[in-house]
Amino acid sequence: MVSPIYILILSLAIGFLLSVIDKTNRKFSLTAFYGVLTFNVLVIADWFYRFLFLGVPTLTINTAGFRAPVSINLQLGVQESFVLLFTNLIGLFAAIFLYKKFKESNISSLTLYLILIMGVNGLVMTRDLFNMYVFLEILSISTYSLTSFGKTGKSLSAGFKYMLAGVTASTFFLLGVVFIYYFSGNLNIDFIQASQFTNYGSIALFLLSIAIFIELKPFPANGWALDVYEAVDSGIVSVIAVVNSAAILFLFYKIMPILPERFLNVFGIAGVITFLFSNMLALKQKKAKRLLGYSSIGQVGLLVASLVFTANAPQHLIYLIVGGFFINHLISKAGLFWLSGIVKHENISDWNVLRGNRSLLILFGIFLFALAGIPPFAGFWAKWELVKLLVHSKMLFALSAILLGSLFEIIFLFRWFTLTVKSDIAATIPRWDASKIFSTSFLGVIAIFFAAMIMKVYYGFSLIHILPVLAVLVIDIIDFLPSKVKGLLSLLAVLAYGYYIYPFESNIQLFFGIIFIVGSAVNIISTLNRTGKSEGFYGFLLMMIFSFGNLIIATNYLEFFLTWEFMTISSFLLILRGKQAQKASLMYMIFSTAGAYLMMVGFAFAPQLMGNSPLVISLANVQLPLISIILLSIGFMIKSGSLGVHIWLPEAHAEAEADVSSFISAILLKAGVFGLLLVGISYVKFAPSFDIFYWVGWIGVLTAIVGAFLASFQEDAKRLLAYSSMSQVGYIVAAIAMVSHLGWVSALYLAFNHMMFKSALFIAVAGIYYRTHTRNMYEMGGLIKKMPLSYITVLISIIAVSGVPPLSGFGAKWLIYTAFISNGWYLQAGVLFFASAVSFLYLYRIIHSIFLGQLKYEHQDIKEAPVWFIIPQYIFLGGIMAISAFPNLIIKPLNKIAMHYFGSSIRIDGYSIFSELGHWDGHVVMLVTMGAFIVPLLILLLLVGKTQKVKQFNIVYAAERPESPQTTHVAHNMYAHYRKALGGWGKPRIWNFWHSASEWTHSLADYFRHIYTGNGQTYVLHIILYVVVIYIVMGV
Amino acid sequence: MNLVMTLGFLLVIIGLWAMLTQKNLIKIIIGFSIIDTGVHLIIVSIGYIKGRTAPILDASVSVADAANKIVDPIPSALVLTAIVIGLAVTALMLTFVIKLYQKNKSLSIDDYQELKW
Amino acid sequence: MDIIIRILYAVISILVATVWGLTLTGIVRKIYARVHGRFGPPVWQPFLDIIQTHSRRVAISHGYMFFLGPVFRFAGGLGTYLFIPVILGSTVFGNFSMGGDVLLVMYFIFFGQLGMALGAGEGGHPYSPMGIARGLSQMSAFEVPFSLAIISVAIQYHSLNITTIVQAQQGSILNWTLFTNPLAVIAAMISLLGMNGHAPFSIVMAPQEIPIGPPIEMNGSFLGILQTNRGLFAAAKLILFMNLFFGGAAHPNILVALLIMMIKTFFIYMFSVFVGASFPRFRPEQSFRFFLKWPTAIGILAILYIAYL
Repeated sequence: MVSPIYILILSLAIGFLLSVIDKTNRKFSLTAFYGVLTFNVLVIADWFYRFLFLGVPTLTINTAGFRAPVSINLQLGVQESFVLLFTNLIGLFAAIFLYKKFKESNISSLTLYLILIMGVNGLVMTRDLFNMYVFLEILSISTYSLTSFGKTGKSLSAGFKYMLAGVTASTFFLLGVVFIYYFSGNLNIDFIQASQFTNYGSIALFLLSIAIFIELKPFPANGWALDVYEAVDSGIVSVIAVVNSAAILFLFYKIMPILPERFLNVFGIAGVITFLFSNMLALKQKKAKRLLGYSSIGQVGLLVASLVFTANAPQHLIYLIVGGFFINHLISKAGLFWLSGIVKHENISDWNVLRGNRSLLILFGIFLFALAGIPPFAGFWAKWELVKLLVHSKMLFALSAILLGSLFEIIFLFRWFTLTVKSDIAATIPRWDASKIFSTSFLGVIAIFFAAMIMKVYYGFSLIHILPVLAVLVIDIIDFLPSKVKGLLSLLAVLAYGYYIYPFESNIQLFFGIIFIVGSAVNIISTLNRTGKSEGFYGFLLMMIFSFGNLIIATNYLEFFLTWEFMTISSFLLILRGKQAQKASLMYMIFSTAGAYLMMVGFAFAPQLMGNSPLVISLANVQLPLISIILLSIGFMIKSGSLGVHIWLPEAHAEAEADVSSFISAILLKAGVFGLLLVGISYVKFAPSFDIFYWVGWIGVLTAIVGAFLASFQEDAKRLLAYSSMSQVGYIVAAIAMVSHLGWVSALYLAFNHMMFKSALFIAVAGIYYRTHTRNMYEMGGLIKKMPLSYITVLISIIAVSGVPPLSGFGAKWLIYTAFISNGWYLQAGVLFFASAVSFLYLYRIIHSIFLGQLKYEHQDIKEAPVWFIIPQYIFLGGIMAISAFPNLIIKPLNKIAMHYFGSSIRIDGYSIFSELGHWDGHVVMLVTMGAFIVPLLILLLLVGKTQKVKQFNIVYAAERPESPQTTHVAHNMYAHYRKALGGWGKPRIWNFWHSASEWTHSLADYFRHIYTGNGQTYVLHIILYVVVIYIVMGV
Repeated sequence: MNLVMTLGFLLVIIGLWAMLTQKNLIKIIIGFSIIDTGVHLIIVSIGYIKGRTAPILDASVSVADAANKIVDPIPSALVLTAIVIGLAVTALMLTFVIKLYQKNKSLSIDDYQELKW
Repeated sequence: MDIIIRILYAVISILVATVWGLTLTGIVRKIYARVHGRFGPPVWQPFLDIIQTHSRRVAISHGYMFFLGPVFRFAGGLGTYLFIPVILGSTVFGNFSMGGDVLLVMYFIFFGQLGMALGAGEGGHPYSPMGIARGLSQMSAFEVPFSLAIISVAIQYHSLNITTIVQAQQGSILNWTLFTNPLAVIAAMISLLGMNGHAPFSIVMAPQEIPIGPPIEMNGSFLGILQTNRGLFAAAKLILFMNLFFGGAAHPNILVALLIMMIKTFFIYMFSVFVGASFPRFRPEQSFRFFLKWPTAIGILAILYIAYL
């Protein structure tokens, strides 16, 4: 083992020798340079290993032959070595990233770089305050000098501003140090206690701490940092953002013990404010590096806040939360800054050049997702635990600010992501540089490594919960195979998975298992129509399907939430594959994330679960507090597209690829239903005094009616179906909210029915789109003659939707109305009747506009949809017909499921079902209907004998002779009169609301960011004013 | 609080005023220098104890009663380091100003705000 | 054996209802003619029309859905009728009411409408979808007061079973829903105006706008079936209203019971006719808005009145 003092000495020595070595050959100096950096990493890694695994006690190094406090001492323990390991690693890889530039630049840059790294190492290890000042200055001076590395005019002025701010902060630091010495007679932080500083004494502590805090770039005294991030070379700026920040953050951590609690709280809140505002201001950024700057500042604010807020938490939680955020920030920020160096385009919309290189695109995704706190990356876990902690310590304002800030973060990060993946490539693709790609890839590996460590070692997740991610990896490996092979493999995988989780399922889980797994398996068949390779598609599809399954068998909140997030991210990526899906997928992600955050808080408020049984079972014995119920319900209702938060739904459904939409609509929405049912399970026994589900019920029925109207006014077939899904899920939500036996039977019945008919409808529309290349229904017409099989699917399905007997839809209607009326929800039942009647409007519209009326000339030679679309349709039709003719097949099991929670309210006698209000015999209805249909059919056949076929336009038409299908096919704006009748009720108020909310936020962000005038003096003024404000707030 | 320290704080405030109001880059740096000097005065004044001598062990001050005769040596040591650092920073700032002037032919800080928002 | 007897009964029941429905239609045409200042056709004109349309030599078809449209329509009429018990306690006229309750009947009404709409749609004539769009929209609007009335009645009798509801209204004329729950009956009767499609709600077949609307392409036997259904379907709706709101038809003597049924349905129908003969036609949006305003308010009051007072 090598004493860590050598990493300081060697850096310094080689640093100054470099200019001599360089006289001989640049190769030697480069070797020495990288040698030192590698040496540092190795020494510290060795120590880190010793501290962590061999239990070596914390190392104290005295200098000058004296013990502290007489001499300066350094300390290296597990925390120091952890921070140093990663800062040095990033330092090394940043240097590798900069290899080309270092090869050509002035030798002094290498020297400065080494000195910078030495400053960081010293700053982290030293325990002496004045020594900290010295190392801080060493670090600062070398950083100032390196800002001009890129030699652009902008970086010079940014560097100058940086210096102005830096010297201001270090003046405070120096004053703080000497006054601390004045009051305590000591400079070693191990020998200083907060109690030594009374009255004026605390000013000394204030000066010291505010100086460090200013270096951490609090909002709004951080304009200088933003300019530096924007202007300086990406390799260097990654060091500033990551390595410097980490060292200074650790400095803050070191002095925390001597700061009074009221200081810390103010700093924590200031950190939260920084996080919130940085992310908000970033919303308006188009320049990649400045955007990353805002994000960095925000992340550091979050780190400070989490350091402060976790102060009293158990050690392992502190490591997970602070360490998680730390690692996450380190990796993703360095990675993204390096990518910016590879991409070489300033504007975020030009980053689509990354699509020229698959692995870089994947890396970009990894870094962005990590930064956004998407599982399995470290930030996700840290956020989850932090939320729990904040909830338990009742810091709800801080919590809301952090979550709001995170939401802003999601918005700009995912906007960037979707722009990169989707927009047209306009900029030129740069030449890829091997050393840069090597460094960046290394970070990606580290990110994945940490994700795996946290999941396996800290939480001990079993393989099944990691399966969704593994699926992506495996498919990624075999992505060279043709898509049909991957499709078949996926189908097998889903079936095997279903078989595997089957034993873990009981009653209600099994029911959802059928919806999620069997439904998905049948839906996969439609994807077999894909040609080519469909790169990445099946990975995310499997990830989504496995997540569905894992939701059912989750045994605690974290498993559930983790799986939920996997589901969200995979479905987002699937939606994003659509041609025009950039906005749609972004909106989906934003709403989903907002919902997820609410759920996260809701779970944090929920009491801990005992035992190891699935949530559907254990939640039955848990009393959820009201706040939990509200938050969870809203979260799940966002996912199921309830009124008010539904605007993502039509976009996502419409813009997703044709065969993805059916998954999203028929299955994904049921995840929200499943979640709501989980809340309901607790509600059965422990209904809160305020009956929140009563209002959920109202939202459900209003969703049903509004969705039905919106569907009726669509021209786009998929949007129509999407709004129809919204409406149908509204019924389900309302039925669940009744928390009664019949309510749940009808909700589950509807869910199952909806899964089948909506899959069939979406796949049918997919087939039609495949042939006609349009989603606008008025551009079709008369397709019944060309695509009879699809027509039959749509016909049967819409009958099943509408609730017309004898098909399964009527069972749903009968159950739900009976349930509503027996439950005393009379007016709600009235609204549902209205919604059902309105649904006829859109159902007729879709079948008429596509299949009936006049065939267009361009569709004269169109063929039936491909067989891969037809097969799943008819499987679903078979299901619909089966439960239509034999309703007992489904009513009986559902009756049993609901009887786990309530006494049965229906009596099943043979094929008859009796409720307290009425009765229904699906079998008799089916027979009578068949009779009533066949008899007139026979009569007609007998009477008519042979009919005469006529040509398309041979119709009884007064006045002008019809000659073009376009003018004869009545399809466009079919219900104009209804829209007119609705008057002001027809306005898209909710859409307008969200639209203006977004506009306002962006305008506000734009307004606020104008405080960063670009003038160095203004920045200094900000700092001075900030210090004064904090001084007053702290009440020093 | 003694006179030197008061003077030091006065210098800090004057320097700060210069940094915040002067548009000329050189003058801003001079402002910083004044602040720096003020800080140094403050440091020195902290270690000073009335009636004591400089912390140098020589013929007049023996090792045995040094503790009673000399002023606190640590601030003196600190101020030396601080002066050196201040010098380095000032020099670096001036270098930047030279480079900036070479590039843009302007010494006004208002001409260097193309990076903003 | 049981099955055959049941089918036999059903046939008798259907025949009676169809004949009565067609006769009513004839009477109504006569009345309208007189109001318009004409002598009008004889009362049996609907029967003649059916024979006439069925004896056409040529039937023009636009495709298989077009062919099935009238079949759907008639099946809808048959089904609707078959799930309503016509005479309380009668096996012959009890139909297949064990199949379901009033919800089934309400939804079976849609069966024919939907099927017909599809058949007419394939005809390719622009007036068909126009008429259907109007019809569906109007249907969605008048369903609101109607369903509110049904809910109110269900609360009142704590049942959705038509037989139970009729049973509960026996004994005295004052037991009729008309008197025990007048608000619901008012709401439902206004809806009936829309269902029957007489003025002011005659927008679906509006002669001067979209001449006869959806069935415009229907000819020959297709039209014949539709006309037959018109009789049966009218009877079914009227019988449903009679059962729900006007005490149904109950008498030990089946012929008397049938007579009661005929008288009651006649008067229920006359309500539509009187309104229809006196008012002009709404524009479509006026019609929708009308149903969603006052009748809906009355329906809500009916529920509130029954449920909470």
